[in-house]
Amino acid sequence: MTGLRRARLQRRPLGLLALLLFLISVPAWAPNRFWINVASQALIFAIFAMSLDLLLGYGGMPSFGHAAFFAAGAYACALWALHRSPDLLPLLLVGLAAGAGLALIGALALRARGIFFLMLTLAFAQMVWSVLSNNQLAGTLGGDIGLIGVPRPVLPYVPAVNLFQAANFYFLTLVVAVAVYLALAAIVASPFGRTLEGIRENEGRMQSLGTFTFRYRLAAFVIAGALAGLAGMLSASFNFSATPASAFWTTSGLAMIAVIVGGSRSLLGPAVGAMLVVVLQLGLSSLPTPGLAEHWQLLLGAVFVAFVLFLPGGLHGLVRGRAA
Amino acid sequence: MNISTASVTVRFGAVAALQDVSLEIPSGERRALIGPNGAGKTTLFDVITGARRPTSGRILLAGADVTPLSTWRRARLGLARTFQRSALFPTLTTAENLALAVRARMQTGWRIWPSRMERTVAMEVSSRLRAAGLAALAQRRAWTLAHGEQRALEIELALASQPRLLLLDEPMAGLSGEERQAAVARLRSLPPHVTLVLVEHDLDVVFAVAQRISVLDHGVLIADGTPAEIRADHRVQEVYLGRAD
Ligand SMILES: Nc1ncnc2c1ncn2[C@@H]1O[C@H](COP(=O)(O)OP(=O)(O)OP(=O)(O)O)[C@@H](O)[C@H]1O
Ligand SMILES: [Mg+2]
Repeated sequence: MTGLRRARLQRRPLGLLALLLFLISVPAWAPNRFWINVASQALIFAIFAMSLDLLLGYGGMPSFGHAAFFAAGAYACALWALHRSPDLLPLLLVGLAAGAGLALIGALALRARGIFFLMLTLAFAQMVWSVLSNNQLAGTLGGDIGLIGVPRPVLPYVPAVNLFQAANFYFLTLVVAVAVYLALAAIVASPFGRTLEGIRENEGRMQSLGTFTFRYRLAAFVIAGALAGLAGMLSASFNFSATPASAFWTTSGLAMIAVIVGGSRSLLGPAVGAMLVVVLQLGLSSLPTPGLAEHWQLLLGAVFVAFVLFLPGGLHGLVRGRAA
Repeated sequence: MNISTASVTVRFGAVAALQDVSLEIPSGERRALIGPNGAGKTTLFDVITGARRPTSGRILLAGADVTPLSTWRRARLGLARTFQRSALFPTLTTAENLALAVRARMQTGWRIWPSRMERTVAMEVSSRLRAAGLAALAQRRAWTLAHGEQRALEIELALASQPRLLLLDEPMAGLSGEERQAAVARLRSLPPHVTLVLVEHDLDVVFAVAQRISVLDHGVLIADGTPAEIRADHRVQEVYLGRAD
C-alpha cells in the first residue's frame, strides 16, 4: 500500500494508555480536594485547547477569539441549569449547540485569512464579551458579575452519584475529555481532516482541484466552536458560575499559548500544554515572592516566548524528536 | 472539452497583461501557447481557471459561459492546470499530496469517518506514484523533494483530476534532459480526447507536441496557426524566434 497516514490512534497506543492511566489515578493520590479541582480545571482547559487546535493547527486558521464559543457554552448551560433542569445530557447538547450556533455567526471572519482572520475573530469575541458584561442586560446575563449559583449537573440513571464531590466531577470531565479527544482524532484522520490540512497548506491548489474550500473551513469552525462550547459547559458547572471574563481575549490567548506550547497539529500536545498552562498559572500566581505573583501573566508570557524561540514544535515536537 | 475566450482583457493598473484576446481551442487539440517573458501567458491561464477575473471579456468552456463561476466549479467541469511555480502541499507527503487530488475528484473529502472509498484512493495513489516515477518518494514531505521531483508531482496532481482540459504552465522548466523525456512520455499517455494547452519556452518541445500554436506578445495575440505557419510568420520571428533565448 502507499502508506497514507494511518489514524493517529494506532500510532502511539502505549503513550496514550499511560497518560490515560495517569489521569484516572489522579484522585487516588492527589493530597486533597484542591488538587483534584486543579486537575478538573486542567482537563476542561485541555478540551478547549484541543478544539482550538483543529482550527489553528490542522486548519491553519489562527483564531484569537475562541473564548467567545467557550463563553457561549458556559452562559447557555448556566441559564439552562438555572431555569430548566440540571440533567447532564441536555446540558451537554446545549453546550455543543451554543458553541456551534455562535460559531455560525462568527464564521463571518472566515472571509479573511491569516492576521486579518486573527483580528476579526478577536474583535468578534470582544463584542461578545462586551454584551456579556453589559450591566443593562444584567437581568438575564448578570452583567459584569455573570451568572452565579449554577448547580452541578445530575447524571442520568445514577442521579445519586453526587457531582458536587470533586473526584466525581473530575471523572465526568475526564470522560468528556477522552470523548472529545477520540472524536477529534477520528476527524483529523478522516478524509475531511486531510482535506482541511490540504486547505491549510495551499488553499488555491485545493480550489484548482475542485474543492469548495469555504465549506470545509466553515465546518471546522463550527465543530471547533461546538467543542469549545462543551468545555464552557463544564467550566460553568465546575465554577458554579459563568462570568464575562470567560469570553475575554486573555482566555483566547491562554488557549493559543497552550496549543503552541504543546505543539499544534497534534491533539495530545495542546492537551498537555493546556494542563501545563493551568498548573503554571496556579504556581506563578501563588509565588511567595511579593511583586512576582501579580505578574504571573508576564511570567507565563516569558515561558511562551521561550517555547517559540527554542522549541518551535512544542512539547509534541520535543517528544517526536523534531519540529512537527 | 473545447475552450474559447471572447475579447478577454486583463489590466493591472496601467499595464494591460491581456488585450482583447480571442482564442478558440477545439476539443482534443494539443495547443502550444508561446511568447516572451511577461507576454501574459500565465495571466491567460489565471482567467481561464477563474483564479483571476478578466477586466472585460468572457470565458466559454464547452460552449457555456463560465466567466462568473469560481475556480472550484470550473475544476469540477473538467478543467485542471499546473502552476509555473510548483503549488504543492509542502508539509504533506508525496502520497498525501496525490490522495488530496484523487479525493477532490471523487468528492469524498467531505467524509468524517474513514470510508471504504479510502482503499480505492490508496490504490489509485500508488499506481499514480509509479506512473510519475515517485514511488520511492511516497513518504517524503513534498518540500523536501528535488526540483524535478516536485515538477513531476505538480503534473501528476493535475492528471489525478482526470481533466478534459489541461493547462500546463511551463511544466518542463528547469528539468534535466532525462526528466524532460519522462514528462513528455507521461503527457503522451493522456487520452486523445483531452484538450491540452502547453506554455513552454523550449521550442523543440513545442514543435514536437503541438498541433497548433498561438503566440502572445505584450498581451496581444499576434499569431495563431500550425507549427509550419508559425515558423514562417515574420512577425513571430521578429518578436519571439528572433530573440535568442
Ligand atoms: N499580480 C500582478 N500585478 C501586477 N502586474 C502583474 C501581475 N501579474 C502579472 N503582471 C504583469 O502582467 C504581465 C503578464 O504577466 P504573465 O505572468 O502573465 O506573463 P507570462 O507570459 O506568464 O511570463 P513568463 O514567461 O515570465 O512566465 C507582466 O507584465 C507582468 O508584470
Ligand atoms: Mg508565466
